[in-house]
Amino acid sequence: MRISNYLLLALVISLSSCSNNSKNEVKLKQYMVKGQMLYNIHCSNCHGIKGQGLGRVYPPLNPSDYVQNNFSDVLCVMRSGLTGEVIVNGVSYNQMMPALEHLTDLEVAEIATYIYNSWSDKKGLIGVNEVIENSENCPPPTTH
Amino acid sequence: MKHLPLIALIIIGIAGCNSPKKEKSLPIMGRTEYTLSDTIYHQVKDFSFVNQDSAIVTGKTFEGKIYVTDFFFTTCPTICPIMKTQMLRVYENIKDYDDVAILSHTIDPEYDTVALLKDFSERLGVSTPKWHFVTGDKLKIYEQAQRSYMVTAAEDKSAPGGAIHSGAFILVDKDKHIRGFYDGTVATEVDELMRDIDVLRKEYADK
Repeated sequence: MRISNYLLLALVISLSSCSNNSKNEVKLKQYMVKGQMLYNIHCSNCHGIKGQGLGRVYPPLNPSDYVQNNFSDVLCVMRSGLTGEVIVNGVSYNQMMPALEHLTDLEVAEIATYIYNSWSDKKGLIGVNEVIENSENCPPPTTH
Repeated sequence: MKHLPLIALIIIGIAGCNSPKKEKSLPIMGRTEYTLSDTIYHQVKDFSFVNQDSAIVTGKTFEGKIYVTDFFFTTCPTICPIMKTQMLRVYENIKDYDDVAILSHTIDPEYDTVALLKDFSERLGVSTPKWHFVTGDKLKIYEQAQRSYMVTAAEDKSAPGGAIHSGAFILVDKDKHIRGFYDGTVATEVDELMRDIDVLRKEYADK
């Protein structure tokens, strides 16, 4: 009786973790699809469909040491924009990035999930709460 | 031997397929005026702007040259980056042609100064005599877009970046006639532009 109880418990745990996993997987897929859509609308004009950038005008996102090492900044930059010099892969870029203030927390999370899972990184799902918590540290939006 | 007519027919048919296609010729665009003795085609008006090296660029700069022209501004967040990606393809394609050049006008001359255009062109990795980035009097630039090249360029505070403009690449021949419009944001249209540049070059070579 005791053994079968343990078995039952193990079964319940494994089943619940299983459904949890697949739920997260579905969510990740949803974020990836929406993220790609949003990326193609808001980011790809400058950074390229494959994140390749353009010359020394627009920095690449793929591959990019800046993107890999500045996760918090990347979340901010989408909505706040960026001015001044940035060094990406050892190359200097200095083109104003406009602020996309109208992006919602969810949209930022979806784009971030797409950027951080499509190319060199496999960061997994980047949730809305992560974006909300992070946005407290973000600078005010840039203006042209 | 009784199949001979049939064979002959097949041969004629195949030969028909191989007959040289009529070569493409490009129309001369814009309003054409006819007088009793002459046909007057639309021509690009002379202009005077300043390029990224602070040199004056006029119609004379493009004497004896076919050129591709467009309107953009460096901070434009919408179609310009794609236009520049595509124009870079054109640049790579014509780099070794002495008789072809590119002329990009900024429509935001207050922000896009000579120094800024210089920096922009260097960052794109292109050289001046092939690809001129020009700035100048804003109204003159708008007028040149609308009157000479027949495309839109205007200020619009409600548009992203503060201006609206056409994404067209315009092909101009050595006689300042407009020979084609292409959507500079669509790769296949730019492919066509590059083919048409060769058609034009051939037209001059055959003259």
